[in-house]
Amino acid sequence: MEMAKQEIRIGVYVCHCGLNIAGSVDCEEVAKFAASLPNVVLAKDYRYTCSDQGQELIKKDIRENRLNRVVVASCTPRLHEPTFRKVCEEAGLNKYLFEMANIREQCSWVHLHDREAATEKAKDLVKMAVAKAALLAPAEEIEVPIIRKALVIGGGVAGIQVALDLADTGYKVYLVEKQPSIGGMMARIDKTFPTMDCSICILAPKMSDVGHHPNIELLANSEVIDVKGYIGNFHVKVLKKPRYVKEDCTACGDCSKVCPITAPNEFDAGLALRHAIYTPFAQAVPSTYIIDMNLCLNKDEIMVCDKCIKACERQAIDFTMKPETVELEVGTIIVATGTDVFDPSTLPNYGYGKYLNVITSLEFERLINAGGPSGGRLIRPSDMKIPKRVAFIQCVGSRSNKSGRTYCSNVCCMNTIKDSLLIKEHWPETEIYVFYVDIRAYGKGFEDLYKRAKNERAIFIRGLPAEIIEDPKTRNLWLIGENTLLKEPYKLNFDLVILSVGLEPRKDSEIIQRLLTLSRTQDGFFMEAHPKLRPVDAATGGIFFAGCAEAPKDIKDSVTQASAAAARAGILMAKGKVTVEAITPVLDVEKCKACGLCTKVCPYNAITLNKELKRVEIVEAACGGCGTCAAECPSDALTQSHFTDEQIMAQIDAVTEHDAEKKIVAFCCNWCAYAGADFAGVSRMQYPPNVRIIRTMCSGRVAPKFVERAFARGAAAVLVAGCHPGDCHYINANYQTQKRVERLWRKMEQNGLDKERLQLLWVTAAEGERFASKIREMQKLIEKVTMEEIELAKRVFAKAGGA
Amino acid sequence: MAEEKPEKPSTVDFAREITSKLGGETITYCYQCGTCASSCPVAKTTDRYNPRQILRLALLGQRGEVLTEDAIWLCASCYNCQERCPQKVEIADVIYALRNIAISEGNIPAIYTEFATGLMSEGRIVPISKFLEKKRADYGLPPLKPTGIEALKKILSATGFDKIMFKKGESQ
Repeated sequence: MEMAKQEIRIGVYVCHCGLNIAGSVDCEEVAKFAASLPNVVLAKDYRYTCSDQGQELIKKDIRENRLNRVVVASCTPRLHEPTFRKVCEEAGLNKYLFEMANIREQCSWVHLHDREAATEKAKDLVKMAVAKAALLAPAEEIEVPIIRKALVIGGGVAGIQVALDLADTGYKVYLVEKQPSIGGMMARIDKTFPTMDCSICILAPKMSDVGHHPNIELLANSEVIDVKGYIGNFHVKVLKKPRYVKEDCTACGDCSKVCPITAPNEFDAGLALRHAIYTPFAQAVPSTYIIDMNLCLNKDEIMVCDKCIKACERQAIDFTMKPETVELEVGTIIVATGTDVFDPSTLPNYGYGKYLNVITSLEFERLINAGGPSGGRLIRPSDMKIPKRVAFIQCVGSRSNKSGRTYCSNVCCMNTIKDSLLIKEHWPETEIYVFYVDIRAYGKGFEDLYKRAKNERAIFIRGLPAEIIEDPKTRNLWLIGENTLLKEPYKLNFDLVILSVGLEPRKDSEIIQRLLTLSRTQDGFFMEAHPKLRPVDAATGGIFFAGCAEAPKDIKDSVTQASAAAARAGILMAKGKVTVEAITPVLDVEKCKACGLCTKVCPYNAITLNKELKRVEIVEAACGGCGTCAAECPSDALTQSHFTDEQIMAQIDAVTEHDAEKKIVAFCCNWCAYAGADFAGVSRMQYPPNVRIIRTMCSGRVAPKFVERAFARGAAAVLVAGCHPGDCHYINANYQTQKRVERLWRKMEQNGLDKERLQLLWVTAAEGERFASKIREMQKLIEKVTMEEIELAKRVFAKAGGA
Repeated sequence: MAEEKPEKPSTVDFAREITSKLGGETITYCYQCGTCASSCPVAKTTDRYNPRQILRLALLGQRGEVLTEDAIWLCASCYNCQERCPQKVEIADVIYALRNIAISEGNIPAIYTEFATGLMSEGRIVPISKFLEKKRADYGLPPLKPTGIEALKKILSATGFDKIMFKKGESQ
């Protein structure tokens, strides 16, 4: 209330960002315009506002000119809002009195060739920010304690490294692994590039360390089934599936020898057999054997076979074990769920699955591995003979629009080069051909390995085979293709063909995505908070990525990222507390009618109805800050701090003051839609300069009255954009968005309005093009909207919108 | 797309021109793996036709070479290349797009002009000779009925076929 009485003194800084903004926006003119706006006492344009000098300038102005609000028009608030908030704080101004106008990602970069329109739009964006700034109120953030324990999901090399690093730092770590043993993909590989170390030899000691570390609790054969809570305070449920073998097991293997049931061993890519009671591989951690109940003859406690029980001297076998739900309280979560490999049987021209001697690179690893099914002899499946002519085919399931895997899998080139050297090492006379499109030997020591392979006379031919034809007698394979560098067709005969298969997102990624409310990029891998500056953080606080879960990467990169993730999680846990943004709702007790609607829409159950006091109560620590409660409240009793009705209405009014009939008012959620619009900017996707974006934390914050206000003020069209259903950063708040927009559509139709003028768009942070093309599409739409229609909408919504 | 074409289009211009045409949209995805050329039954019989090379030349802006030489007319439209292309380049359709550009500039191999003439005058691509009619009779086939030439002419002129096909003739 004190602030309201005080004179409002706003300082505006229009950043050139070198030529990033100034290249297509006349910053000087924007600053001049800003100076003319109400409550603005000074407006300046500056080359790099985020530089030390720029920051000092703002601080100096706050002190000398008694500024009590600051607006910076520059890049996206997702990048530099924290920077400038800190500047304000350092100059003694509450950081919630700062506001940003995004004139780079959402203006200069998307209107590169229309300086005039971009400048006009920048002015509008500054005007909106100034209008909101005048209504900002100072706020104090609440502190939340962080539990000093971490959960690591996935026990491949990345998960192992994270767990060890965190445990060595002194934190308690729970490592959850779906498979019976940790080790992941690396345990299955024979040698590693570019140094040719034995993979399991360097991994096994780490696996063993995990098993023995006093700070690590390993939950193998287990799955995360539920995650509740927020940064620093996650409540996790883990389903620990029974092994039917107690930890007394000495891994002697006597049980396995007598077991009558056999099945292909998944660890050996199905090339060898295992029993129903088994250990996946010799170095498994935990070493305790496990019974595969899908195979065991004993079902539902009906015992028909007791051979293993009799064979076990330690009496470790226990058929009465039951699944168990373990509940954990952790402060940070590291997602190290790894990757799947592409299944080439979907490409009929290569005949995988039909021709015995066409195998995948992962099957090759098991065949060349001394501990594998063939004892390290590279034999071809049809006749168990050692092949004399071997072909590798690259980019199978990578860089391919056809297979839907458009990205480069990063590891296959080097893996093939390594494999070709392995063959040459054992059988130097083998002729090796590698069919490729581009060879990417980009890392440390990679080019040397490539050279070595060429020196060893591995032959690299540029041009993928179009098809493989099997000779039915010899089971040899004809590769038919074109040597593109010579423009010469080839038809070559091989004994064995190895398909260098790409990596792809795990098929169960969706489950983890839902449980932890994460986002994924278009390729299906998990999305980091910032592709360059926060590469291991998830957008959701307290969650980090390591290894192939985030993108295909080799062992070195996985380990590097794992240590980075451990450091990032460690920072949080070392601090022991985190401040939560002051964007929680405030209740006006007088206005609350205890209808309870807000309690129904709150995704976090953070609002409860107190029947005795006849009002609701808010649990601030549990609140996620989406604001859907404030949008739902019919009596305006709930106000979301920093995104109040008045502030958002002021932004709408600023947009629609002039030329409203040519503009689109867009409401974008911070996490997906706003980020998607930013992504369009980063990628320099061009779209018409008609749209004015108002940022809310969640599309669930968009109250129908905001849309109505925009129409009542003559806006041509309104766009409400949020995360895809199921992807909502606030669990499910965007379902409310859909409900509200549908209600508005009905109202528009009933009143003879074209409901197309209100658009709903689901867009992920990676779908810049989706956002841009929607704006292009809406441009065509608003060109058709007549003045009569604008006037009709004004009348229909005049009362409701309160304009 | 009625802008005047510059004398010597750059790499970007020609690629952009192709992608703006129906069927030509996907040409830029090509990464020259050679799957098309090695799937092509025509390329197997002659080195005058190689779809990979046509796409490469087009992407390098070799407009004249692509449009005036006969390579683009040798495609048999079997769509084998398109079926197998890992990058989902619609190769056969790209070739059609290139043919359409070539035709619009009067670059039509004589045989196609002949076909078109036959179509416009007789309503048939293959002219019916006495010899053929006798053969039909020998095989016990009924004599050919006259074609609905007037209706056909209307359709062909409504679609602009006549103008496009005889552009070269007109300008000469």
